[in-house]
Amino acid sequence: MEEKAKLSVEAEQGDKATILIVNGRVDGSSVGILESAVQEQINTGNKTLVFDFKDLSYISSAGLRALLIAARLTQKEGGKALFCALADHIAEIFEISGFNEILDIRATRAEALGSI
Amino acid sequence: MGKSPTQVLVVDDEEDLELLVRQKFRRRIRDEDLKFLFAHNGKEALEVLGENPEVYLVLSDINMPVMDGLTLLSQLADSEKDIQAVIVSAYGDMKNIRTAMNRGAFDFLTKPIDFNDLEVTIEKGIKHVQALQRTLETRDRLVAVKQELDMAREVQMSFQPDALPANEHHDVKAVIIPAREVGGDLYDFFYIDESRIALVIADVSGKGVPAALFTTVTRALLRATASKDFSTPGECLTMVNDLLCENNPSCTFITLFFAVLDLQTGELSYSNAGHNPPRVLRADSRVEVVPKTGNIVLGIQPTHTYHNNQIQLAPDDTLFLYTDGITEAEDSKSVEFTESRLDERLAELSGASSERVLTEVVDAVQEFVGDAVQSDDITCLAARFLAPLSVHPS
Repeated sequence: MEEKAKLSVEAEQGDKATILIVNGRVDGSSVGILESAVQEQINTGNKTLVFDFKDLSYISSAGLRALLIAARLTQKEGGKALFCALADHIAEIFEISGFNEILDIRATRAEALGSI
Repeated sequence: MGKSPTQVLVVDDEEDLELLVRQKFRRRIRDEDLKFLFAHNGKEALEVLGENPEVYLVLSDINMPVMDGLTLLSQLADSEKDIQAVIVSAYGDMKNIRTAMNRGAFDFLTKPIDFNDLEVTIEKGIKHVQALQRTLETRDRLVAVKQELDMAREVQMSFQPDALPANEHHDVKAVIIPAREVGGDLYDFFYIDESRIALVIADVSGKGVPAALFTTVTRALLRATASKDFSTPGECLTMVNDLLCENNPSCTFITLFFAVLDLQTGELSYSNAGHNPPRVLRADSRVEVVPKTGNIVLGIQPTHTYHNNQIQLAPDDTLFLYTDGITEAEDSKSVEFTESRLDERLAELSGASSERVLTEVVDAVQEFVGDAVQSDDITCLAARFLAPLSVHPS
């Protein structure tokens, strides 16, 4: 089986937002890691989250659902969730599923931070 | 109503143990906390146990006519029921006591019996038996839950016929190869009226019973909407989406492609709610991607308008619907099957029956995956348009 964890989420505290760098595969078996990382930020009062997807290799429908929940949670707290630096094949998943219409997607991290 | 009393069987050929028990426990017997049954040898004891399945604790003497206590112990050990026995023996009769313990006796008492010792031992036996009962009940409940899950899968599968009765106008078949858990894939096909058939494929986020329930509800809503106030697939999805969004706190969603094939004209009208773009396999071997309608998955965005689009099927063209269980199937090195492998395989299947298209695609995927574990449902549907239906003017 796989030797290294297939998903890691690293948090970086910025001035206007917390950056979550998502590295690896988000699917049914790893989505819990992403969910708890989001919940941890919400619990500590960080309600504006920028998901940096430059190292995201795959996302399943279970992962998309987690992003949607993250967007709703941050909104409820009066903040927001942004998603940036999607690889082409990830952008395609967002486009096919229509999630690009309901999630705030930005080309780069700088653009995401600039929009806040 | 109180709970029924715990039952204990006392086996002794002499009267003294019975008298002792009746006297010692008279209050608890009267309060219906304990109930004692009596037998006078091993054989009688087995008969009493056979007639009283609620008895799990036996208090037995060793020396008795017809069948002695040690033989009774062996018989109990061989029975399917987990009956616990406390053996009563003469003081100092270590040989028999050892034999009894080796044959699975739970505890022993020595004669002359000490009242206090008797009560403590019986109490201990009852607690032990009750703990065993709870374990068994838990196990039975787990078995029942598993059976219910298996049944849920069977019910889910039984909703899905594997083919629409074929005729000279169409050849529609589908296949679903479920992963280990009750899955979230769905296909469906049905007549809307005598000249139009509905074709559906869908994939719900997540797995297990919640996913299965969501697909079942979606299917029912779609069928009801499509056959009642039918207008276009886009309008149907708009209605179904609003209904699914009404109460969906868990953010479960479903990707779904819904098409209606007009058998008179070969026109395919469709709407795509975030599902992988299906393919049209043309009679001349071209494989075309069915253009998107730019719509989001169902269940998330209320009042979203689902668009409608049309493409034309000619005789011997096949519409191929699939879920990502095909394109994202992985081999042991985590390489995906991908759309391009699917398109390559489809291109070789022009002119084939729907049955053959499905078999060949599934075989190709399974051969590619090899020994790797199938992690997602594999579902596909092939709908071949054969010849236009002519309408008889009424």
